Amino acid sequence: MGLNHKTAPVEVREHFAVPAELLGSRAKELTELSTIAEGVVLSTCNRMEIYIAAEDRQTGVRILREHLEEGRSADEMKHIYQKSGDDAKRHLFALVCGLDSMVLGETEIFGQVKQAYKQALESGATKGVLNKLFQKSFTVGKRIRTQTRIQMGATSVGNVAVDLAEKIFGELKGSHVMIIGAGETSRLVAQSMMSRGASNLTVTNRSIERAQSLAEELNGEAVPFDAWEDTLTKVDVIVSSTGASEPVLRTAQIEAVRRKRKFRPLFLIDIAVPRDIETEAGDIEEVYLYDIDKLQQLASEAKESRAQQVRICEQMIAEEI
Amino acid sequence: MDRWILILAVILAAVAAVQGASYVHRGIRSRWTVLWMLLSFLAQMVVLGVRSELRGSCPLGDTGEILIFSAWSLTMFYMAVGSVYRLSLLGVFTAPLVCFLLSMALVPGMLDGTPTHVEVVDGWREGHAAFSVLAYGALGLAAVSGVMFIVLNRQLKDASMGTGLFKNLPPARELSKIVKRLVILGFGLLTLGLIFGLVMKWSDGSGKHLFVALGLWFAYGVLILVEWRRGMPPRKFAIAAVALFVFSLMIFPLLK
Repeated sequence: MGLNHKTAPVEVREHFAVPAELLGSRAKELTELSTIAEGVVLSTCNRMEIYIAAEDRQTGVRILREHLEEGRSADEMKHIYQKSGDDAKRHLFALVCGLDSMVLGETEIFGQVKQAYKQALESGATKGVLNKLFQKSFTVGKRIRTQTRIQMGATSVGNVAVDLAEKIFGELKGSHVMIIGAGETSRLVAQSMMSRGASNLTVTNRSIERAQSLAEELNGEAVPFDAWEDTLTKVDVIVSSTGASEPVLRTAQIEAVRRKRKFRPLFLIDIAVPRDIETEAGDIEEVYLYDIDKLQQLASEAKESRAQQVRICEQMIAEEI
Repeated sequence: MDRWILILAVILAAVAAVQGASYVHRGIRSRWTVLWMLLSFLAQMVVLGVRSELRGSCPLGDTGEILIFSAWSLTMFYMAVGSVYRLSLLGVFTAPLVCFLLSMALVPGMLDGTPTHVEVVDGWREGHAAFSVLAYGALGLAAVSGVMFIVLNRQLKDASMGTGLFKNLPPARELSKIVKRLVILGFGLLTLGLIFGLVMKWSDGSGKHLFVALGLWFAYGVLILVEWRRGMPPRKFAIAAVALFVFSLMIFPLLK
């Protein structure tokens, strides 16, 4: 029994949310209710679900519903769905594979389910039925994620950019990222790069105050807009998103520093419209230039590819059931 | 018997190549390639062992043996380098080349059916042959990694991320580094091979290939020097590594 991003808006979901550290104790509380022998409580930002094994199905459902109704309105309870038997099994298997997630095939849910189960197990809220069910679900999840392309490709512009950077540089540890123009998308891309190990960040913007504020937030360094060219010899990745009507980064500027850079790869991400980086810069051998259209296209291709895998995954789940 | 084991080595390398390529096509990492390559490597070692017993010296007495030794050297470097740099796809790219070299050794006339047992072993000659063939292994693997880099570079330039090949290829910077390291390693081994070759005794006309080898050594030397002194775009370096290896194959017809 539960609710998720498809059945309930965030203002309802937050009323059902359970803090991560209380998942085990809440599961244990369930087993103290009549006829409920085992329980697991899962709570993420997109869902709250309760899995139970009861001696009598109908009584178990009734008691669990009454338990959930405590302190909640009838309107909120309308968003609750319930599944039993093979339907519940199928739901859990699909869930760990990311088929029920907002971003199809995402991997975080696998860890979240594992965490919820671990806490329930440690608090003594699970026994034979749910132990077997959850362990089976992890096996199915691993099998499907390994044997299909359900998690292949990045589905957001930021993740596409980070994946590309890793394909060019390998580990981003020690990489130097420069942001030209302190826009929101650049901030997100830079943040992703820093979270994956990039250690140096330079921010430049026409308004030095905004550059300084972003640099401070991301633990980087701000440079004045008329002085950023000096950084060109050191950087590995440039994310550009200014509102300029003329190119900010020209091919000649890169050509001029190629030898100084010892022809190291340079990844240019141009998310500005009109574009900030001259298209011809992409013709330089060690330069990889991606504009917003290319990044969005790659993200859509990955989404489409994942959607095509759903039927295969469902077939595999049906076999397991 | 050595011929049958050689056929087994060819089959194992072919299985590695075909199965690896099929896995890549499906976007799955091939876990079997290393095993098939290891088995092929062991079979190659047995063949070389048998030939070595027959000759009473290093098994580098005819073109067939040199081809097998080259394939063995290439496989050895793959096993050594592949695990360190986790170049999972290196096996898929190396296997066809190993398969080709071993198949060429099977062509009638390449392997001497009744090799002459050597009475006196010339250490310089043995060293020259062994180091030169080991250099071939390293330079061959550099060329294979170079091809992988060129393929990945093209895919990155064209923004074609959806293929299984793209997913499984190692990062461009890592590939570029390994091409350079293998070229330097191969160059070092080639230098040793040449030093041994210059010292050893030559019979009439048998040293023709030494001139080609010297030209090759010079070309690799220039490549390393240019890269060290002023740097070079990784793609150009990879193309040069592939081109020089292809050129180096010219030496085989000159061997007596």
